[in-house]
Amino acid sequence: MSAVRCVAALIAVIAAGVACSSEPEAQPAHLHTDATSIGQPDRVIAGPQGGVPQFVVECAYSHAASDDPIVYPGQPGQSHLHMFFGNTEVDAFTTIESLVDGDTTCDNSLDKAAYWAPALLRGPEVLAPVKSVAYYRPGVDVTPQSVQAFPPGLVMIAGNAGARDEQPLSIVAWGCGRGIARSATPSTCVEGQNLELIITFPDCWDGARLDSPGHYAHVAYSSGGRCPDAFPMPIVQLQFVVEYAFTGDPEGLVLASGGVLTGHADFMNGWDQATLEQEVRLCIHREVVCGLSS
Amino acid sequence: MKRSIVAAATAVALLLAACGSERDEASTTTAAAADTSTDVSTAESVPPSVTDTMPAPDTTEGADSVINVPDDQPTIQAAVDAARPGDLILIAPGTYNEAVNVETENLTIRGLDRNEVVLDGNFELENGIRILGAGGVVVENMTAINYKRNGFFWTGVDGFRGSYLTAYRTGDYGVYAFDSMNGQLEHVYAAGSPDAGVYIGECYPCNTVLTDTVSEHNGLGYSGTNAGGNLLIVNSVFRNNRAGIVPNSGSYELCYPQRETTIVGNIVHSNNQPDTPAIDVALLAMGNGILSAGGIRNDIQRNLVYDHNKSGIGLVPFLEENPNDDLPTKDEWELTCEESKSLPLVTPEGALLWDSYENRVIGNVLEDNRQGDIIVGSAGTDVSSLGNCFAGNTFTFTQPNNLEVLAPCDATGSGDWKDGEYNVVAWLLDTPPPSVDWQTANLPALQPQENMPDAATAPAKPAIDVPYEVDLDAVTVPSKPT
Repeated sequence: MSAVRCVAALIAVIAAGVACSSEPEAQPAHLHTDATSIGQPDRVIAGPQGGVPQFVVECAYSHAASDDPIVYPGQPGQSHLHMFFGNTEVDAFTTIESLVDGDTTCDNSLDKAAYWAPALLRGPEVLAPVKSVAYYRPGVDVTPQSVQAFPPGLVMIAGNAGARDEQPLSIVAWGCGRGIARSATPSTCVEGQNLELIITFPDCWDGARLDSPGHYAHVAYSSGGRCPDAFPMPIVQLQFVVEYAFTGDPEGLVLASGGVLTGHADFMNGWDQATLEQEVRLCIHREVVCGLSS
Repeated sequence: MKRSIVAAATAVALLLAACGSERDEASTTTAAAADTSTDVSTAESVPPSVTDTMPAPDTTEGADSVINVPDDQPTIQAAVDAARPGDLILIAPGTYNEAVNVETENLTIRGLDRNEVVLDGNFELENGIRILGAGGVVVENMTAINYKRNGFFWTGVDGFRGSYLTAYRTGDYGVYAFDSMNGQLEHVYAAGSPDAGVYIGECYPCNTVLTDTVSEHNGLGYSGTNAGGNLLIVNSVFRNNRAGIVPNSGSYELCYPQRETTIVGNIVHSNNQPDTPAIDVALLAMGNGILSAGGIRNDIQRNLVYDHNKSGIGLVPFLEENPNDDLPTKDEWELTCEESKSLPLVTPEGALLWDSYENRVIGNVLEDNRQGDIIVGSAGTDVSSLGNCFAGNTFTFTQPNNLEVLAPCDATGSGDWKDGEYNVVAWLLDTPPPSVDWQTANLPALQPQENMPDAATAPAKPAIDVPYEVDLDAVTVPSKPT
């Protein structure tokens, strides 16, 4: 991306952030907060596995609920319908502290994080997710040894649930199976290569806040391998992929948050912190591939 | 699983995807352990404890110490963390519920008894022993069971050796080397993985030998995505898996294509096993002995291959529906793994068909492979153009017919490739028995396996001299087990 376009995008993002910051915290489900974190990855993160250090956690689908403990804490039924992965006990009343009481659907039993994304619908039908895959990597061109684990209690949202236009493919994209192709709207996937929603989280943290008003302002995206000055701490980059048991014509698909452009995902760090830090050190700092998605 | 098979069948696809130091400073405890340990240390003239005035300990054999588990350190991990490069860790018989991570190079981690030193993941832990970017590490003479991912796993290393290892009932692979080169895997027994008993992936040149191994009741006996270059699979047994030896190409991981694997002197039989755990590709590959799925320039010689529902030796395509890059050109077949990683990705339109080119199938003995002792197929490519050759094999029939006349090695072929043309796409219409949960699959009881010689006294031998030389010319076709 050229510098000019970068600046333009940045201004747009800042403008969007300003616009939303005056909105009330809680609002009707169909008027979701319109925001993103500052920046976006320098490029779409896709391609063959095995060239970038990573560790991978696969989590089965856990449950669905119209709950959102980040955006609508303590307000059950207030959110659009979400699909939850990982921690099994997530509802509107979930807190970081309560996550330790849950079990997990993840293959790594020490990952009790809560991961969720809007449900995918076709008319009244809720399309079942097969699983989620959480890739943990350094941000694009970020020095792997500088990357830190998420602090305990960090929450994040990536993507804009209120988007009316296409979001950057580097943050929100649709794809099929293991392929490199990405698109802003659901692809027509061939049989055997399931439809996926791919959400890339920020990889820079302000070093202070575990959450922020609007939930986007405490984290940001790196550019040129560097974190913005106000977000000086590189954190491991989570790319969260939801695989749906769906192929073929995507006509009529919508996300529960709105149209197909409203892709987003939420994360609450419920990892066993020592394990998360160990995996960052062993895999990311040592620059090895600790696992591949199946 | 049925969904996947039916789904895949509608594509013209042959989807054979395979499929994946921090250390404490030497403590006085460690030094003391060296001084008091038995045969090894006394035999090696261990120097006195390190002091501030001494130069840093060198890594020659004589300077190394022995750490006993649990006598010197209570756990394998504690011993690994306390060890210095070159040290020998000796593990006493017992069950260890550990997932060990190794970051120190040139360690030798050894069980005193292969069958009685058991790492047990209890279906909760991910890997038995994981070696992360630390070269020269040896793991030998022990057993790993019930791990959610792998029994023994080297990743990103230069120099590795796994000897006298038993891996049983693991969620991904039994013994796994990824993005690693210069290795030796020997005297391995691997059973009960849905993917492969032994996997070597993403390396070229791999410079690795797999020998004296038995792999059974896995999805695949051996899998090797994008691996090759002085990679030898020799003198081993692959039996009663869904499919036997299955190297393949694909752009979903790096260092494609798969090439230059030498498969010699193995017994490959009865890989039709219906009750193993199995990933989708193992289901698709089921019933084949040695199957090159988009493999190039592999050398398949003097193996004994029998009792398969499909092929004894098959050279077939891998069709990648959603690729990450275009097909490498013939020039790019020569690039090392490192060189190829820097090539720009070119997103192709549509699917990729990875055909199997220029493989040599010579002197194998094949019998009772019910759809063809040797099979060559594609999904649209003229198979006469692929440059594979066949000579000196003992067989009943091939598909196409008379492959040794059509494409002899080092001679000009003749004949009709359409005679007995094989429809490999039809495999996609099969409905193999579904996968079985790896945690509960019916496996043969774990039998005592051969111990390494002199486990208690043999000195540490880091993996700095591997692979060991194999006299390939001396390898003959194995005789059939009785």
